[in-house]
Amino acid sequence: MVSKKKNKIITFQDTILKLQNYWSQKGCIILQPYDMEVGAGTFHPATTLKSLGPKSWKSAYVQPSRRPSDGRYGENPNRLQHYYQFQVIIKPSPDNIKKLFLESLKSIGIEHQDHDIRFVEDDWESPTLGAAGLGWEVWCDGMEITQFTYFQQMAGIQCNPISVELTYGLERVCMFIQQKKNVYDLIWNKEGLLYKDIHLETEKQFSKYNFEIANSENLLKIFEILENEAKNLIVNKLPLPAYDQCLKASHVFNILDARRAISIAQRAEYILRIRELVKGVGEKYLEINS
Amino acid sequence: MSELFLELFSEEMPPNLQCYVRETLLQNIKNFLDKEQIKYDGYNNCFSTPNRLVIYFKKIEKEAIRASQEFRGPSVKSSEDAINGFINSNNISKNQIYKKKINNEEFYFYKSPKKKIKTASLLQNEIPEIISRIKWKKSMKWGEYNLYWGRPLKSIMALYENKVLKFKLGHLHSKNITFIDKDYEDKTKSFKNYKSYASFFKKSGILINHNERKKYIENKINQISKSKNLKIHLKDKLLEEVTNIVENPNIILCSFNKQFLDIPQEIVTITIENYQKFFPLYDQNNNLTNYFIVVSDSRDIKGFIKKGNESVIDARLSDADYFWKKNRSQNMLKQISELKKINYFNGLGTYYDKSQRLKKLGGHLSDVFLLSKEKIEVASSICKVDLLSDLVNEFPELQGLLGGYFAEVQGFEKEVSTALKEQYLPTGPNSNTPKKNYSVALCLTDKIDTLVGFFGLGMIPSSSKDPYALRRLTIGLVKIIVQNKKNLKLKEIINYSCQLYNDQSKQFDNKIILPKISIFIIDRLKNLMKEKGIRQDIIESSVLEKNIDKLTSIFSKAEKLNKIIDKQLGKDIIENYKRASNILNSEKDKEDSEILGAADPGLFQNQFEKDLYKKINEIKKNFTSISIETDFQAQLFLLASAKKEVSNFFDNVQVNDEDKILKKNRLQLLDMFCKTFDNYINFTKVDTQ
Repeated sequence: MVSKKKNKIITFQDTILKLQNYWSQKGCIILQPYDMEVGAGTFHPATTLKSLGPKSWKSAYVQPSRRPSDGRYGENPNRLQHYYQFQVIIKPSPDNIKKLFLESLKSIGIEHQDHDIRFVEDDWESPTLGAAGLGWEVWCDGMEITQFTYFQQMAGIQCNPISVELTYGLERVCMFIQQKKNVYDLIWNKEGLLYKDIHLETEKQFSKYNFEIANSENLLKIFEILENEAKNLIVNKLPLPAYDQCLKASHVFNILDARRAISIAQRAEYILRIRELVKGVGEKYLEINS
Repeated sequence: MSELFLELFSEEMPPNLQCYVRETLLQNIKNFLDKEQIKYDGYNNCFSTPNRLVIYFKKIEKEAIRASQEFRGPSVKSSEDAINGFINSNNISKNQIYKKKINNEEFYFYKSPKKKIKTASLLQNEIPEIISRIKWKKSMKWGEYNLYWGRPLKSIMALYENKVLKFKLGHLHSKNITFIDKDYEDKTKSFKNYKSYASFFKKSGILINHNERKKYIENKINQISKSKNLKIHLKDKLLEEVTNIVENPNIILCSFNKQFLDIPQEIVTITIENYQKFFPLYDQNNNLTNYFIVVSDSRDIKGFIKKGNESVIDARLSDADYFWKKNRSQNMLKQISELKKINYFNGLGTYYDKSQRLKKLGGHLSDVFLLSKEKIEVASSICKVDLLSDLVNEFPELQGLLGGYFAEVQGFEKEVSTALKEQYLPTGPNSNTPKKNYSVALCLTDKIDTLVGFFGLGMIPSSSKDPYALRRLTIGLVKIIVQNKKNLKLKEIINYSCQLYNDQSKQFDNKIILPKISIFIIDRLKNLMKEKGIRQDIIESSVLEKNIDKLTSIFSKAEKLNKIIDKQLGKDIIENYKRASNILNSEKDKEDSEILGAADPGLFQNQFEKDLYKKINEIKKNFTSISIETDFQAQLFLLASAKKEVSNFFDNVQVNDEDKILKKNRLQLLDMFCKTFDNYINFTKVDTQ
């Protein structure tokens, strides 16, 4: 897509560095991934909790994300149960955010005038987080590379002011830049290490675990324990540790879902239970921070 | 007269919001102009691109005329204060009021002079109001602002008489400039009117007028497909949507890897149309090809856009292909027991339970439909197996259809795989109903089982709430029965379905459920008849009995009667009936004993009575003869044919005879007559119009 010359190819790690560099220059605090299994960059407290309340906030970070149901034993060129998101969160959303975003693409070699960049309606909702926002998925030549969302609600609480969230799917973006049809062929670094060298075995093992081996009975018990722990922490006015329990519970739920151990009717109930916890966390967090 | 030109520039607005706000805004401005009696003529419209919403009125009168108006003040007897109050509130002086008598009382009056108001100042005040009154189906806030809009609103350009209409909307001030680069919002330019604005953008390929844009895209697509000797099945909804997501349309012919043509076609077209908003192309025999058309929003100078879009389709199809190959080889019969893992609905068991019920219900129908019991049982048992597949997980809208494809590959008989494919029909108001017997049977049992289950749980739709779409399902049920002219003992089937739930230890009481379902079904039948343009009085008369065992004949009778009701034939029938029933009704109550039983021919005094009696018996006999039992047209002719006998009877026979026995006998004759007619439909409530 960019230059075909090997030495000029933007590697996977370059992409991360360039994005970090770009958003750092735009005044974002560069954070590290949250040290827990989460379904998306949005779950990082730097997004969920920081988007609540009146204080300004600008941050960018990489977040490894897990979606057990999306595992394909390493056999599918596009689907992974573990992948990377690059997350930008800015509150209040600046007027020139579209320009900032398009320039960030330029920084990783996607020249706007050469491509068909589209803002396709995608009203985002996270039932477990009690969050909703309006925005788009950004398509580059038909491929979704970023999620662009103005948060309207988080943890069941109306946002004010409004934060804007940009979530780059790093593998997608890189596959686009490096012109690869298979995620495992992505070039990770200048020495030529590939994505598969790092992650193929992970995908195989975790797919097997998520779909076949995970012990549903135990996980159901763990879910209960985590839920109680979170409730207790909320009562004790410790929303931050309580939120950690929510994240763990959410991940346990996702594995149970991948195991198809939860029926459609129960599914809604579990989601509601997590949402109630997150709501409690959000309220307590605001109480303490205002 | 002068031009009004507004542009509201925002970040990318979704297509459906564009359509909605276009219509609403234009209508609200027109309503305002009408209300203020400001004349406008010539062209007016509202256009949009994803970023620009444009209102354009070619000519609006520069002044609004306020006609002179008379205001009534207080009575002349009122206190000085009241009179002064009237004068002050109208901002006039004492010599401008006058006295006038109304109903013997004298009042003060004031007549305001004819006035001219500048349209510009009215627009200036009202436009921000009109804009902020838009009721969004979905709207948002952004930054620290308090404004609500479909997507962040960035600038407002408002011109009338080539000058800025100055107003404020939230934090935004109207101007005569707008952003000309939609993405970076770095460059601005001022405009004087719509024409210069539209032509400025046209130079760079941007078509502001969405109608023009739609036509342009349509022409180009047709051109390209024709040049490749390919065909396009253009769906207007998709074309409309694509028109609303581009401003600078560029049409690119693309192709995907041919090997994916082996995947079920619906998967490919859904991927291309629904997910990517592209247009698939077909060969001259209407077979899907591996070509498709992309409408991009910019020129493909370096060829990246074509290449990128092609690889997206290839990637998506390769994902689908992976699942297709995996799922089609998973033995459906062996998977039946796995349905135990999927809950159908709380209280109604799993999908395994459901398919076991369907199997028995299908077996029951096999006699009525003359089907092989074995085949329908197989179809019922495996019909929900596709819910276990990855493909249905990926493409939920293709459930049923995919099951059919799996069954085809696994060598199930054609009737079975087709029934699976068609099991959810009809899917919407314009969708087909199944015609093949196995499909009809499976569709019916599935719907009846669902209906009985939800009614059994007491989850009956209310007038406003129908979360499980039972109305739509039941309309489908009625349509399938009526359109296939099936005579089904529906009550028996519903009772059996109830029994099947009971066998699975779900305690449903059919005595409670059946009457409720019957009413629900009859109401849907009424809707269907209304949709077909059948007159309300005929509809009401046909469903008086609420007999769901006769849906087909109720519908056909009503339809046939509706066709002739306004013709001579219809008038004859109604008149014959009314003459008899009018007398009958007015005399009925006066009789001491009820009019029961047939008239006694031995009591007839004249030929006219005998003739009518003979005619009634002739009609009765014919009605039950097999030849016309279901020929409702013939039945109507027969009813109309009594005209002569009826006329002669009423012209020559006095029903109200002094001899009470004779009178009663004649009333009984008329009662026989009416009852014979009522065999067709209860004519009491049908009117001649």
